[in-house]
Amino acid sequence: MRAVEPDESGFARGIYWERFGDGEPTVLFVPAWAIVHSRAWKMQLAYFARHFRVAVFDPRGNGRSERPLDPAAYAETEYAADIAAVMDASGTERAVVVSLSMGAQRALLFADAHPERVLGMAFIAPSLPLVPGHSERAHYEKRFAEQLDTGDGWAKMNMHYWRRDYRGFIEYFFANVFTEPHSTKQIEDAVGWGLESDAETLIATALGPGLDEAATRAITDGLRCPVLVIHGEDDRIRPVAAGEALAAATGGEFLRMPAVGHCPQARKPVAVNLALREFVERVATGPRTEEAVHGYS
Amino acid sequence: MTARKRVLYVSSPIGLGHARRDVAIARELRNLVDGVEIDWLAQDPVTRVLEREGERVHPASQWLANESRHIESESAEHDLHCFQAWRRMDEILIANFMVFHDVAREERYDLWVGDEAWELDYYLHENPGEKRAHYAWLTDFVGWLPMEDGGAHEAFLTADYNAEMVEHIAAHPEVRDRALFVGNPEDIVPDRLGPDLPLIRDWTESHFDFAGYVSGFDPNELSDRERVRAELGYRPDEQVCLVTVGGSGVGKALLRKVIAAFPEAKQQVSDLRMIVVAGPRIDPATLPQAEGLEVYPYVHDLYRHLAACDLAVVQGGLTTAMELTANRRPFIYFPLAHHFEQNLHVRHRLERYGAGRCMSFEESEPLDIAAAIGEEIGREVGYRPVETDGAARAAERLAEMLA
Repeated sequence: MRAVEPDESGFARGIYWERFGDGEPTVLFVPAWAIVHSRAWKMQLAYFARHFRVAVFDPRGNGRSERPLDPAAYAETEYAADIAAVMDASGTERAVVVSLSMGAQRALLFADAHPERVLGMAFIAPSLPLVPGHSERAHYEKRFAEQLDTGDGWAKMNMHYWRRDYRGFIEYFFANVFTEPHSTKQIEDAVGWGLESDAETLIATALGPGLDEAATRAITDGLRCPVLVIHGEDDRIRPVAAGEALAAATGGEFLRMPAVGHCPQARKPVAVNLALREFVERVATGPRTEEAVHGYS
Repeated sequence: MTARKRVLYVSSPIGLGHARRDVAIARELRNLVDGVEIDWLAQDPVTRVLEREGERVHPASQWLANESRHIESESAEHDLHCFQAWRRMDEILIANFMVFHDVAREERYDLWVGDEAWELDYYLHENPGEKRAHYAWLTDFVGWLPMEDGGAHEAFLTADYNAEMVEHIAAHPEVRDRALFVGNPEDIVPDRLGPDLPLIRDWTESHFDFAGYVSGFDPNELSDRERVRAELGYRPDEQVCLVTVGGSGVGKALLRKVIAAFPEAKQQVSDLRMIVVAGPRIDPATLPQAEGLEVYPYVHDLYRHLAACDLAVVQGGLTTAMELTANRRPFIYFPLAHHFEQNLHVRHRLERYGAGRCMSFEESEPLDIAAAIGEEIGREVGYRPVETDGAARAAERLAEMLA
């Protein structure tokens, strides 16, 4: 059973969204890669719904959101447009935007296009091309569409392998996401979510255009809102240096979590919840505008 | 003047088993610590017991996600894979730990008590820096155990969870100021925590104090059984068979089967009076009726009925079975299928006491149950005696931290 049921839900642009709670401000949890869906935030929802207002949605390609097979539909700009659509549909004018992994790209694109709608940004294990990726994975990512003669290790990060053994890839991937011992439940959950999508859909998501380093830096250079970055030191999906680089580029705070993998929100939920709550509270009551200062005095 | 001591008590909300023993411990604690204030973080059905006992349920309890409802949603007909159901409760457990954390952060308590409050114990060990008070852990079993039909994978999973617990306690021995086992070393199953892990008994003996069994009732009040029977309206010329499935709402299938056995049992035992207690989470209107059969939604002082009856038919939950054992009443128990605690831990303990007749729900037809009722009702029993000072012993260990 879920810990908390949504107060409202709906579809916008074919994207399934849910809203919980009525507090202030709204915390928008942006989905990661469509290998998972909005349930990846299940350890956060009840807590944040109790203190704030929460919006969450399934990424195109998984959950209850639509699953086109055209890679262009999975451009990060499309995901950013989904954020705007979900905010509109859920009556959310502004939000603290919290993203996980690949969600960092769409969150940045959204903030760049709609800075007035973003109170602050929190990034968990951001997948951004600010530093080189882990070498073996990066090597095979470049050969994603090639026929390989191996399926060992990160050679599973390959469209032909996915067509052969989708489950095998999903299991390998999440064994590397959860590097902490005793993560059987988190792995089971994530594999289950991965299997809710399918090889062809996930291939389309992987071929969708994302941000390169120059485009990322162009956005981070212009970002003016408060930023918190959380990254596990033992992240085998995206190196902790990526989180560090984002914090440096945005002047944001950096929370480095020792012995933690790629999904601290699932594996270390108390620490993540407390850090996020403190950030949300600070941002919500943060620096006043000129007008508000005058109004107060 | 020193401030009054304050205790935040978190009682496992699954079923009613822990509520009564925790109330008994709280009562003893008040005898030992002048003016101690006890707040309870609890949810239905535990709150029903607490409210009737005049205990203070902390208002933040309203925010707790309901664990009993989850357990019910995981149960099939007399079948509850409680290890997997508990694993799938992870988002409820974190939600409830965060409620606890809010309370503990905003209010000063001198002592936190968790009676099988899994979220509290787990997340405190995960986040030892969040400990802000003395902390005592209570449990009546140690070790997740695999069910046979779960195969190698379930054995791997239970061992992995046990290994994490062993590592937690080894890495942060400062988290649990007291760890109390509700029972005795002999109550512990002979199994290991896992293939490469210690024997459960050895490990528990070196990491717990033993309170003995903690009963939720006052033995003096129940010693005159004839008087209790009279007070409950049991006539001398009838034999009372009490049918109860505890508080979680999982036991409806058992109630139905025993009700189906009633006509035949009545044939065999002419002075039989069968009383079915549906419990707070089962609507009696959803149960079949039978002439002469009595069905009640909830009986507050169930323990008095358990002490006075001539036979009880129950599930395999520890508290009810041990209250029957302590009161030397014959009983038939049906462990829930795939419920490792009821099938392994509780059964082991009851066998040590020589108490109860274990029957399989799946393999027993109403006629079998009727025959068993005929054989067991009113029987003299030779159970090993159960100590009656467990609540006082547990309270003494808690009071040490409030001196």
